Amino acid sequence: MSLLVQGLARLLLAPILMVAFAVLVKGYADVGDGFAAGAIASLAILLQYIAFGREQTERTLAIRLLPAAAFVGLLSALAITAAPLASGDPLLTHTPGAGTEPIHLGTLELIGAFAFDIAVFLLVLGATLGIIHAIAREAERVEGIEPR
Amino acid sequence: MIDAPRGRATAHSLPAAVAILAAATGFAATLWCWSQGGGVLDLPWAASLDIRLRFELDGLGALYTLLATGVALPVFVYAARYLPAHLAQQRRPASHAPRFYGLLVLFMVSMAGLAMAQDMVALFVFWDLTAVASYFLIAYDRHEDSARWAALMALLVTGVSAVLLLIGALVLYAEYGTFSVPELFERAQPGGTLTLAGGLIAVAAVAKSAQVPLHFWLPRAMAAPTPVSAYLHSAAMVAAGVLLLGRLYPLIEPSALLRDGLLVVGGASIAVGGVIALTRDEMKQLLAYSTFSQYGYVVFLYGLGGAKAAVAAAFYVISHALAKSALFLTAGAVTQATGSKKLSEVGGLARDLPLLAAASAAAVAAIVALPLTVGFFADELFFAAALERGPWAAALAVAAAGLTFAYLGRFWIAIFLGPPTPSGRVPAAMLVPVAALGACLVATGLWPEPVASLAAAAGEASVRAPTSAAVAYHLDARSENLMALATWSIGLTLLALPALWRAPAGAVARLGTRVGPERLYAAGLRRVNRLSDRVHDLEVRDLRARVAAVLVPAGALVALGVLATPTAGSYRVGEIAARDAALVLMLALACVAAVAATLQNHHLTLTLVLATLGFALAGVYAFFGAPDVALVAVVVETLLALLLFGVLALIPAQVLRREAEIRTRGSRRWRDPLIGVVSGLFAFVLAWGALSRPSPERSVAAEHIELAPDAHAKDVVTAILADFRGLDTLGEVTVVAVALIGVVALLRRGRLW
Amino acid sequence: MTLIPALAVGVLFGCGAFLLLKPDLFRIVAGIVLVAHAANIALISSGLERGQSPIHPLAEGPVSDPLVQALTITALVIGFAVTALLLCLAYGIYVSSKTVDLDDLSHAEARDERELEREEVSV
Repeated sequence: MSLLVQGLARLLLAPILMVAFAVLVKGYADVGDGFAAGAIASLAILLQYIAFGREQTERTLAIRLLPAAAFVGLLSALAITAAPLASGDPLLTHTPGAGTEPIHLGTLELIGAFAFDIAVFLLVLGATLGIIHAIAREAERVEGIEPR
Repeated sequence: MIDAPRGRATAHSLPAAVAILAAATGFAATLWCWSQGGGVLDLPWAASLDIRLRFELDGLGALYTLLATGVALPVFVYAARYLPAHLAQQRRPASHAPRFYGLLVLFMVSMAGLAMAQDMVALFVFWDLTAVASYFLIAYDRHEDSARWAALMALLVTGVSAVLLLIGALVLYAEYGTFSVPELFERAQPGGTLTLAGGLIAVAAVAKSAQVPLHFWLPRAMAAPTPVSAYLHSAAMVAAGVLLLGRLYPLIEPSALLRDGLLVVGGASIAVGGVIALTRDEMKQLLAYSTFSQYGYVVFLYGLGGAKAAVAAAFYVISHALAKSALFLTAGAVTQATGSKKLSEVGGLARDLPLLAAASAAAVAAIVALPLTVGFFADELFFAAALERGPWAAALAVAAAGLTFAYLGRFWIAIFLGPPTPSGRVPAAMLVPVAALGACLVATGLWPEPVASLAAAAGEASVRAPTSAAVAYHLDARSENLMALATWSIGLTLLALPALWRAPAGAVARLGTRVGPERLYAAGLRRVNRLSDRVHDLEVRDLRARVAAVLVPAGALVALGVLATPTAGSYRVGEIAARDAALVLMLALACVAAVAATLQNHHLTLTLVLATLGFALAGVYAFFGAPDVALVAVVVETLLALLLFGVLALIPAQVLRREAEIRTRGSRRWRDPLIGVVSGLFAFVLAWGALSRPSPERSVAAEHIELAPDAHAKDVVTAILADFRGLDTLGEVTVVAVALIGVVALLRRGRLW
Repeated sequence: MTLIPALAVGVLFGCGAFLLLKPDLFRIVAGIVLVAHAANIALISSGLERGQSPIHPLAEGPVSDPLVQALTITALVIGFAVTALLLCLAYGIYVSSKTVDLDDLSHAEARDERELEREEVSV
């Protein structure tokens, strides 16, 4: 990979991840939702794979546990769905109730559905990364490169 | 593997005890209920389909239920001793035993249900239950090819005819609006529909009772273990056929055509069964042919019509069931003692097994209608009913009874008289049931009132008019006694002069094997198998043929639908404003990309064209006023394109090049585009029709838009995804997780990292 | 605005169906992608209203139907997951049979079945 591409890839990693996070956070106020955020984040990491190859990317970025995080996301989504059952409400009851003011983090409102969105984000990110990793490993096997 | 003795004993004795207890309880309960005057159980089952669970313990129900539970008792006691030896001989573990008893009890219960059912659908369900239980019981020795073949044959013959029973029930429902048997009796009018339904029911009954021409499964079913033959194929399952005739007799009797048909079928069964029974060497085979010959008597009686005949039929069923099961148990005991199944290999056992000889003599005497057994009265009633019909029927009756005398006499003489052959002991548990049945036959011969009253009640249920059965010994020269004497003389003559019948009977038997209905069945089965193979080849072999097999008929059906529905107002073009120009352009771009995708040969360019299509569609979504969707579409399309490139890179270039250079040959050059055009047309028509008819009601989406601010959301779509319809999203992310698992399993053999 | 999306659905579905009939596994996957896109267009054009994007605060005028948008997003993501799985499946078939051509695969299957039957008969 040429130096230009590698340099650009390294430069763009943080901004793309920032954009992904922004899309996730402002999903409730403007365009955006959990899937788009997760997919954009995975595209950022995919760019690194393309520019630097599998080994180097996996060495520099701490993404080992992200595919497993997909299942964490799935389980949290299930938990969030079922949580209102504990207090007798039906599934996915909106917290806090309608009309009450939720906790604010700046202009970000922390509501139950936001946690659901984060779980979805984790899941999409983890799944996509898992698929990318599997294909990258298979590509190495086909080309005869021994994994170190 | 050697079972521990205690384990083996429990595996056998516990289920046997439960089965015997169940039979005894059933018998006692039925007897008590009948003595209280019967009862009715009426439960709604599927109210919207007019199906009720209606059980009534009337005469017919009591008769067959008592038969089913009463004969079960000695058979189960016999089986408790027979089965361990049977399994040990075949080197099967004792854990196979509970299944046997379970199936027998299931059969007993379904027979009781069938006897008492008063609803056509309930009748059908229990009818099929008995067939299923019989299937598993016949194939109990699963490793034997003959047993499996026989079980399948029995199931197919009785099962396919059961469908006819259901069709008959549906015909009656369509005509009279009810499935309930008593209501049908009230509403039924003689006519074409009733004859048709009655005919279908009669065919089902004929198949179940193994009458000619659907008799060929019964001799084959003798591959089952002896208790099964003694219970199912002499006293219970084949009795179900004549039970159906008796239960639905008011639907069959009005039609002279059906009655004459039953006469013919019954007469043919008597003749065929009797003649071939004369030639059989294997004991159980002889008894099988004898069974359907005897049921031919019953069918013949139902064909004669009238109250007397109905009572005679019921009486005959009781007498035959008791006697025939005793004979089957005898055959099993003889096989156990001597190790052989053929008449030619045994003989002179009267000295070693006197009790068995006496008991089976009583049973033979009952079927053959000697005095002092209940069979004598059965034949007396039979002769009386035949005489009423005319001299030809009487002559036929005498000939039939003589034939019966001959072959059963031959059976008993061949086993118990003549030069003795070595034999072992028969265990008491196998002797006692036979002796009990024999004693029962003699006791009811001396005191026939209970049987007669039961038969009269059953006949009353059949003809729905008061009946009586006055049976007693009359020592005068009335016609029945004369006919009985004639019967015995014919029988004795045939026994004494075997040369008379050996050649012609053998010829008949050989003819039956060569051109009989069993060959038809085997040929039919072969042809069905071949058809199935051919359909399998056509359908499964080629993925594309399967796809085309779905698309083309779907297109044809949609075309039919379009032609059939009125088109005025169904297809609106809709308004197209100037601001929609961008949308139209993007859709046009998407269509061009799609068409271009079909023309691409090279995989890389195919990927690029698909990506173009995806991005064009993202633009379409944006112009539809859906920014969220456009964002997701763009990102997903990028991921997919890169994924496609990645997977293509894994495949060697020459494999892909070979695919790219393939030219479609022959008929596929025009067939594939044609199918594509047809499917496109049908999708277009479908979509246009659907889009032209929006829902007239207020959409729930307007509610969502209104409620979103309350859900602390300004973006309604995100609120719907994560909040209002969060369960849909949950399902969707599960799909993504499953896809991850799938990919990891395929590419990385299950390792996640 | 009912005819034009319907036309697009028809064209995409027809092209997808055509590709589904090809012997090349990857072209079959492409066909499935096209059919999925056709379904998405049908979905989003069945919205009851078309106008501004449904994000508060809303101006005067018609608002696009948010429900079909949510459903389309769901459909897109599921389509992505399924396509990814199908691609890896196609690759898996290649690894086990060394071919991505359906004709070759069915010939190989027929050959295997004939061998199996020959073994059964001889046993």
